[in-house]
Amino acid sequence: MAVVAAPAGRLSIEDRAALGPPRVVADILLVARRNLLKVRRSPGLIVFSTIQPLMQLVLFVFVFGAIAHVGPGISYKDFVVPAVLVQALAFSAMGSGVGIAYDLQSGMIDRFRSLPIARSAFLVGRTLSDSVRLGIQSLLLVAAALLIGFRFHNGLPSAVGMVVVIVMFGMSLTAFSAWVGLAVKDPETVQPAVFIPVLPLVFTSSAFAPVSRLPGWMQPIAKVNPVTFAIDTARGFALGDETLYRVSHVHLSTALTQFLVSWVLIVGIFTALAVHRYRVG
Amino acid sequence: MKRFGGFEALHGIDFVVPEGRLVGLLGPNGAGKTTTIRILSTLLAPDGGRARVAGYDVVTHPQHVRAAIGLTGQFAAVDEDLTGRENLILIGRLGRLRRSVAEDRGAELLELFELTDAADRVVRGYSGGMRRRLDLGLSLIAAPDVLFLDEPTTGLDPRSRLRLWEVITGLRDGGKTIVLTTQYMEEADQLAELISVIDAGRIIAEGTADQLKTKVGGDMLDLQVLDRALVPAAAAALARAFGVAPGEIITDAELGTVLVPVDAGAAALVDAVRALDAAEVEAADLGLRRPSLDDVFLTLTGHHAEEPRPDAPEPKLRRGRRRD
Repeated sequence: MAVVAAPAGRLSIEDRAALGPPRVVADILLVARRNLLKVRRSPGLIVFSTIQPLMQLVLFVFVFGAIAHVGPGISYKDFVVPAVLVQALAFSAMGSGVGIAYDLQSGMIDRFRSLPIARSAFLVGRTLSDSVRLGIQSLLLVAAALLIGFRFHNGLPSAVGMVVVIVMFGMSLTAFSAWVGLAVKDPETVQPAVFIPVLPLVFTSSAFAPVSRLPGWMQPIAKVNPVTFAIDTARGFALGDETLYRVSHVHLSTALTQFLVSWVLIVGIFTALAVHRYRVG
Repeated sequence: MKRFGGFEALHGIDFVVPEGRLVGLLGPNGAGKTTTIRILSTLLAPDGGRARVAGYDVVTHPQHVRAAIGLTGQFAAVDEDLTGRENLILIGRLGRLRRSVAEDRGAELLELFELTDAADRVVRGYSGGMRRRLDLGLSLIAAPDVLFLDEPTTGLDPRSRLRLWEVITGLRDGGKTIVLTTQYMEEADQLAELISVIDAGRIIAEGTADQLKTKVGGDMLDLQVLDRALVPAAAAALARAFGVAPGEIITDAELGTVLVPVDAGAAALVDAVRALDAAEVEAADLGLRRPSLDDVFLTLTGHHAEEPRPDAPEPKLRRGRRRD
């Protein structure tokens, strides 16, 4: 059994244990590549998680669009599409925790934890692969939205800006989802555990109606809701600052600042919680 | 030492694994075998005590320990959505092999574990035995200095178990340092060069299988009675004949077996036949044998190795599904 012996030119234990930055980056890329390979192996996952928001697009654009008005000079379609995209990626981000719970269940996390890799590699690699997945999904959804008549009103750079915002928002929720996945551990339970807090946040935001038209008791919630910050920012990029201000009484610069602050907080808090969970096992 | 809640799971685990040897940790479910392995492989922090693996302390130098070990747990930890080959290359590269080396070693291990035909198939379709072999391959790909095998054959059918034994025997004879846990006497007897018997979180005996068997002393008289109802009568008759306390005799009324520790050698057989004849017990089978590890375990602990300890809390279900 020659293979039992160490390969020629093998590194010493010291060298194998060392974690220089190039090593950490390589580990992150290996983990991310593995996750993307899994996504590619089950393309149904990305197809179905794209079809569901497509149906929402149709529902909001054609059904609610027929009766809803948000103000002069803007169609409900253009108003609601950025929100549907943010919602779609938020829900899609929840798959992160489910995937992690499966890794926990299959023993892969124990295997990773027993390897001489950076403790961060597993979670950062997961974030990276999820961002790629969310990026692909967002482009598919934008294409679909354009097909059914949605238009960007603010030029190409802003359109790119919108996509970046919604992918970033999805990414921040993968941190939350990863923490829930590691804490709850059972894949079947992770799904409801991440949806229960996120779903009401989407409804009590500026997603489907301007905050000023929401019931009085809901408005204070909507005003401090991170989903509102993300949607207002996405909307501002897609429609322009002037239109955003007309429907939402907020400037893009304000919305963007709120979004970035809440993004840093969400990512910081839930990454810390997830890393702690991963460490203690 | 390790506590879970108020339950002290380990207290007094003290053993040394000489380089290049296979040491078996033998004990029933709940004895602390997996906890010991999880501490040694840095997956769990001990609450007290010290452990060194390949010269590095598991608490102060966990990263070095990880660089030195390979771990195969009770459940095959393989990626379902990747092929066998992809699994091996991924873990090899994370284990600090260059890509080309990982590929070469991966191919060699697939060959060794008779997985070459399935190498490029997704693991989801593998049988339980194939998963276990791949799992072992994953722990070996980076050529670890120390290999931990935590109940590597639990849940396998007899054929797969035999094949895995062959592989482990090959690794042992190839000079790998291995810690293997098992609840099967036969497995420890077959594979381990040194055995530590563990029960209720402490090591209660150590030595080679032969040394442990000698601890029981003498031979075992193994009787199978024809009429199972006569087991107590047979036990009483043999206890009188050999002057053995009734507590030292192991009976199984369901199987109709009576085990008596004796040291009279072959003469014991004659005495036994006479005693049984006088008690009008008919024997279906009567023989003398060296004590098995199970006898050792019974003598040391008062219960069979495969029985869980009665005061242990229910083990937390770590996985929802067992796939093999």
